[in-house]
Amino acid sequence: MTASQDTIGQICKLLEPFNSTGKVLTPDTEISTDLNIDSVAVMDFVMEVEDHFDIEIPLNVVSETHSINDLAMVVDARTKKA
Amino acid sequence: MTAKAANQNVEAVAAELARTPRANRNLEQKLAGFKTIAEGLDYAACGLTGFNFYSAKGVLSHVLTYAELRRRALATARKLMSAGMKRGDRVAIIAETGPEFMAVFFGCQYAGLVPCPMPYTMYIGGKDAYVGRVAGMLRAAAACAVVTSADLEGHIRAGAAGAGVENVLTHEKLQALPESLAKLEAFGPDDVAYIQYSSGSTSEPKGVLITQKAIMANTQGILRDGLRVTKSDRAFSWLPLYHDMGLVGFCLAPMMGQVSVDYISTPSFARRPALWLRLMSENRSTVSYSPSFGYDLAARRINGEAVTLDLSNWRAAGIGGDMVRADVLKHFGETLSVAGFDQNAFMPSYGMAESTLAVSFSDVAQPIRIDTIDKFAYKNSGRAIPATEAQDQDAVRSFVVCGKPLPGHEMVVRDEFGRALKDREIGHIFVRGPSLMFGYYHNTQATEAVIAADGFLATGDMGYMLNDEIVITGRAKDLILHNGRNIWPQDIEWAAEQVEPLKSGDVAAFAVEGDDGDDDVVVLVQCRATGDVEIEKLRREVSAVVHHSAGVECEVVLVPPKSLPFTSSGKLSRAGAKQKYLSGEFVEIAHRSSQAAEFLAAAQ
Repeated sequence: MTASQDTIGQICKLLEPFNSTGKVLTPDTEISTDLNIDSVAVMDFVMEVEDHFDIEIPLNVVSETHSINDLAMVVDARTKKA
Repeated sequence: MTAKAANQNVEAVAAELARTPRANRNLEQKLAGFKTIAEGLDYAACGLTGFNFYSAKGVLSHVLTYAELRRRALATARKLMSAGMKRGDRVAIIAETGPEFMAVFFGCQYAGLVPCPMPYTMYIGGKDAYVGRVAGMLRAAAACAVVTSADLEGHIRAGAAGAGVENVLTHEKLQALPESLAKLEAFGPDDVAYIQYSSGSTSEPKGVLITQKAIMANTQGILRDGLRVTKSDRAFSWLPLYHDMGLVGFCLAPMMGQVSVDYISTPSFARRPALWLRLMSENRSTVSYSPSFGYDLAARRINGEAVTLDLSNWRAAGIGGDMVRADVLKHFGETLSVAGFDQNAFMPSYGMAESTLAVSFSDVAQPIRIDTIDKFAYKNSGRAIPATEAQDQDAVRSFVVCGKPLPGHEMVVRDEFGRALKDREIGHIFVRGPSLMFGYYHNTQATEAVIAADGFLATGDMGYMLNDEIVITGRAKDLILHNGRNIWPQDIEWAAEQVEPLKSGDVAAFAVEGDDGDDDVVVLVQCRATGDVEIEKLRREVSAVVHHSAGVECEVVLVPPKSLPFTSSGKLSRAGAKQKYLSGEFVEIAHRSSQAAEFLAAAQ
């Protein structure tokens, strides 16, 4: 399953400041591992996503989220609900 | 419902959600001195103070007075008994910060059950590592039941299945059970109190078994001798309740002193570090603790908001859980001075779960003291010789003085042959006293490895004495400290060795001190591959697996086969590998061209 391009684009924009590796972000980019972001910074990024989309992402869902596409799907599901 | 009734309802909710008062007007403050945790709660329940929980956005969401907690704990004790628990059974509780955890933890005290607070997951993509970790802890505790939030139920069921624990209860399911009518028999003064599972590696978790006597001794030391708590105190905490600093320092100790506590959860703090300071300002909090990294995060994220805050009531800003970093504290103090923060409030302290929590506090009334010593003598002769003013910054090391041991406790520094050392001689730190753990749960071998027949606990830390006060210089054990978390190198190595085609003994993980004084993780990997693509693939996969399992970024260094040093008994020598790495003896296999990396990305 894939998420909406629009959501992916917005997430990439939010993620860019945390991406110190300079790697090109794609839907398959694994957020914590490919970009070598510290665990605290990852939580900071998740907060940015929550604030931006005005949703809450519970920790159990966070722990099952790997790629940008995974996260975008979580966002899509939660913004639709609202 | 009539409009009037609805109105009354709203008022009732609003009234209920007034935070608890700072102190009890009509109840004498007792700073511990009880016989059991249950007795301490019985006393605190006579007053109006208690716990207040704030949401991730900083809104007061639950108020739990000690009186209400006692009522809930007693009911929960009876429900646990209807769930088939018998005296002495271990009940694992996923320690999310909230009233539900408190009800079960203290319910266990009244039912004579041994609560085992356990961590939750907060890392992105961290599910698999978490499930494995929980399974290991449940197995080591031989838990009879595990209580979790509904959110984490799936993860916990997976972990419980791996550990053969059948009784998984959500808080809702537990609270829906009937109350057993059997007689409640609370823990007595000679009983155990709880088991803490933040010690030990994932593969071999060690449960620190704390007795009622130890918790009574330690909380009294914290309240009376360390913090010198009075009725004007109000505590604030974002520390996890599965960790000793959160559980003992900011749940059990405040309760034993009838002090009100305001909480945000650890993930809430990690996401919004400034919330800590904002709520402390709002509540005029007087006591709060954090590892150095927390002060660092908060100072960097407070920005222009600092000027709107009032932190002038904050009299004990404790630091513990990692090496105290003087530079970070200085920056925090400067940034928050505009909010009235008093730099003299900083209070370095030293402790560990094996000693319940606290071992020593610096004097709460004194400013932080730093001992600056000659770096050459420190590294080469193991002596802490005061630096002269003329010495260059590069030739000195600065350490923070962490105070005297609590009354009734002893601290000695010994050399590697066990001989007691004098002031300013660096060695291994040992402690003895009533706060020490009973032992590691069901692990005599591990217990005997740290507590000797003379009753002294080997802390695994290095340091020196200075006029009866301790100065910590580092660790003797291989443990890696990252952002206040303990990470075992074995866990990183084991995870990395699962990457094809690595084998056991191909990986060495250790910490090197980063520029900021925190630990940086280095992972040495023996690499047999020769092709650029394979080499970069290995580097990437090891980095990924370390991230997933330990939640840290690391520097992966590929080294030639058979280059890692081993001890004479065939064990990997981490110290040897580290030394070899720092002295540049390894012929590192360099990063291949970015073309190879791009090719790899395209190929996936």
